[in-house]
Amino acid sequence: MDLRHLLFTLALICANDSLSASDDILQRPQISKCRSPEMETFSCFWTAGNFYNLTVPRILQLLYKKSNEEDWKECPDYITSGQNSCYFNASYTSVWTPYCVQLASKKEVYDKKCFSVDEIVLPDPPVHLNWTLLNTSQTGIHGDIQVRWDPPPTADVRKGWITLEYELQYKEVNETKWNELKPRLSTMAPLYSLKTARDYEIRIRSRQRTSEKFGEFSEILYVSFSQIGIGCDHCTEEVEFPWFLVVVFGVCGLAVTVISIMLSKQPRLKMLIFPPVPVPKIKGIDPDLLKKGKLDEVNSILACHDSYKAQLYCDDLWVEFIELDIEDPEEKNRASDTDRLLSEDDLKSHSCLGTKDDDSGRASCCEPDIPETDFSASDTCDATSDSDQFKKATEKEEDLLCLERQDNDESLPDLASTDPQHQHRNTESENSSVWAPFEDSVESPHLSVHTQISNQNSLTSTDFYAQVSDITPAGRVVLSPGQKSKLGRAQREGCTEQNFTMDNTYFCEADVKKCIAVTSQEENEPRVQEQGYNEDGYFTTESLTTTVANLGAPTAAAPSSEMPVADYTSIHIVQSPQGLVLNATALPVPDKEFNVSCGYVSTDQLNKIMP
Amino acid sequence: VGNLGLNSKGQKSLLLVALLVSHMLLTKEGVTSLPICPKGSVSCQLSLEELFDRAVKLSHYIHFLSSEIFNEFDERYAQGRGFIAKAVNSCHTASLTTPEDKEQAQQIHHEDLLNLILGVLRSWNDPLIHLASEVQRIKEAPETILWKAVEIEEQNKRLLEGMEKIVGRVHSGVVENDIYTPWDGLPSLQLADEDSRLFAFYNLLHCLRRDSHKIDNYLKVLKCRLIHDNNC
Repeated sequence: MDLRHLLFTLALICANDSLSASDDILQRPQISKCRSPEMETFSCFWTAGNFYNLTVPRILQLLYKKSNEEDWKECPDYITSGQNSCYFNASYTSVWTPYCVQLASKKEVYDKKCFSVDEIVLPDPPVHLNWTLLNTSQTGIHGDIQVRWDPPPTADVRKGWITLEYELQYKEVNETKWNELKPRLSTMAPLYSLKTARDYEIRIRSRQRTSEKFGEFSEILYVSFSQIGIGCDHCTEEVEFPWFLVVVFGVCGLAVTVISIMLSKQPRLKMLIFPPVPVPKIKGIDPDLLKKGKLDEVNSILACHDSYKAQLYCDDLWVEFIELDIEDPEEKNRASDTDRLLSEDDLKSHSCLGTKDDDSGRASCCEPDIPETDFSASDTCDATSDSDQFKKATEKEEDLLCLERQDNDESLPDLASTDPQHQHRNTESENSSVWAPFEDSVESPHLSVHTQISNQNSLTSTDFYAQVSDITPAGRVVLSPGQKSKLGRAQREGCTEQNFTMDNTYFCEADVKKCIAVTSQEENEPRVQEQGYNEDGYFTTESLTTTVANLGAPTAAAPSSEMPVADYTSIHIVQSPQGLVLNATALPVPDKEFNVSCGYVSTDQLNKIMP
Repeated sequence: VGNLGLNSKGQKSLLLVALLVSHMLLTKEGVTSLPICPKGSVSCQLSLEELFDRAVKLSHYIHFLSSEIFNEFDERYAQGRGFIAKAVNSCHTASLTTPEDKEQAQQIHHEDLLNLILGVLRSWNDPLIHLASEVQRIKEAPETILWKAVEIEEQNKRLLEGMEKIVGRVHSGVVENDIYTPWDGLPSLQLADEDSRLFAFYNLLHCLRRDSHKIDNYLKVLKCRLIHDNNC
């Protein structure tokens, strides 16, 4: 119901509108506009409206009045400007004087307007439009033309009474939208890049310079290139930008550039554009190993590194998690790997010594499938050589250590039980403090053992690794007995203060120096002599030098008291399955260079030092 | 204090300055003997053509600004107030008899016309200063109106200077400075009633537009007559 009501009311309103519209068909007369074309005369135009039909014709009057006058005057000229117009010639026109005009009959005033002549200036259109060809493009498809015209004849531009500006519009014949040029003061305008195959239309209009409104448009000027014989009949379509070609050539060029760069031998350019992808690099590991997939060797090396790192003096954060015990210097010297090796077979079954040590970094390196590479791995850390040989070597080492073990049978079994727990207590001064409280609790029950251990250490080698000084023809490995002489060192006070661990595979030279400084003088000679012992086909560079030089004197390779103990060296050459050439580690060590690597001398560093 | 403090060099410079000043004062044509060149001009003597060119450009610019400011004011304040209907348009310069059509402009002597132009410009000096200051007191006056008012006042001063130069060049005899109409419309700009005040502004801006158009036209006529010999 509501909707119907709404519709009904709407219908009523519409009807009302239509009715009222029909009433308004009778329109009042109005002054449509007043215009001056040149600021010298002006005309006013009006619409008669419907009244005109109904009432007596020509009853409308236009009255005007200047502002300084009182009376309304009638229009002087109803004819010149056409019907329903009033023309004021120059004598009636005062430019800056306000006028008022009104459209009236005798009865009433229909419309009134007030203005001044300078406000109603609308110039006539320009005349005499023509165009000339400026030039054409090389292909003949486009051309430039110059359009000229004359100002409207009524406007007195010559004397400067009125200043006009012109706007030109042009378009192709079959287009609908006109292109506009900016208004200009001059009576000529160039048009560039017109298509010679098409025809154009041009029109111009003008306005007084400070006005906003333009006058009427001029007559249309037709431009046809064919008329002057330039038209390009066979130029059908304009050449569009060859996007397809651009893309294809761009891709090809890019591909060629890339390939050439890749193949180029200029390393710099290559580096710039194709920077090398950083490959994982672990010190001591040959990336080829990784590539070739020699898993065993890689694992051993990594395991070595992991466990090794646990023993370093380096400031590795993860090392914090390793159980350390540095507080008691004697503890460091408690059990060496050799002892453990000698002591039991249980340990052998462990892939790492003492996997019970949960927090130690060593646990991470435990590879159950590579049970016996741990020890050997540590020796091979710095070298990319055969781990197998060292496996054999350690086995032999173990056998050899058995010999030593007999001396220590009493205390060793005790040690064996305690060793696993202590084995990882590698001394790292920086990290030990973290674990000191923990270890203290562990240590207490083993105090008795520690003394034994220290005693043991005094007797046995305190290192994890012993330097292989010789390999007998029978296949046995002779360890450098010089390690034993370290025992005395361990007991000496000068060394116990340090974080110096006999357990370590490698010594940090800085620490070593301090201890060696104390002991080296005494031990050099016997060690050198023993290292000179040569049975089987391997030489140390050291031993070579010692044999060459005076045996009695400290070798050139071990010139100073700062020489680190050459318990082991990195492998220089693998001569044969049974022969190794080790690098001399007993070298004068400049202080600064070796603190970095914390422990072992790499061949690179050696090369730096070696003269 | 006892020490005069002037060394020989200082004495010499003082003497030089004194000589120069006395020379200037003695020769009444101080201005011509030491010509003051307009800023940026290469030579001190601009040609009359260049002076007229500059003057026409300035006058066109002033008229352009006046038209714009009037249109903006009309749009903003005059709509719905019926100002047009009320406008009597009695400008304060109406007392100056200026040519009202082309015939009169052709017939008047160029010197008289120049003097008239100068007179109109001078008569507008004062109203423009007050316009620039009073228009800022209109409630929420748009920024465009404000800066245009200031700009018109500045340019008018420059045009006045330029015209005085031209007059100095063209005139053979003594320059007459008595063409001038005082302006007393300041109180109307400060009326309390807002409608009346705005109507006063409307009138003033309307008159400004008209007079600036007059001056622009006269200058162009003069330029075409004097420089281009009626063949612009």
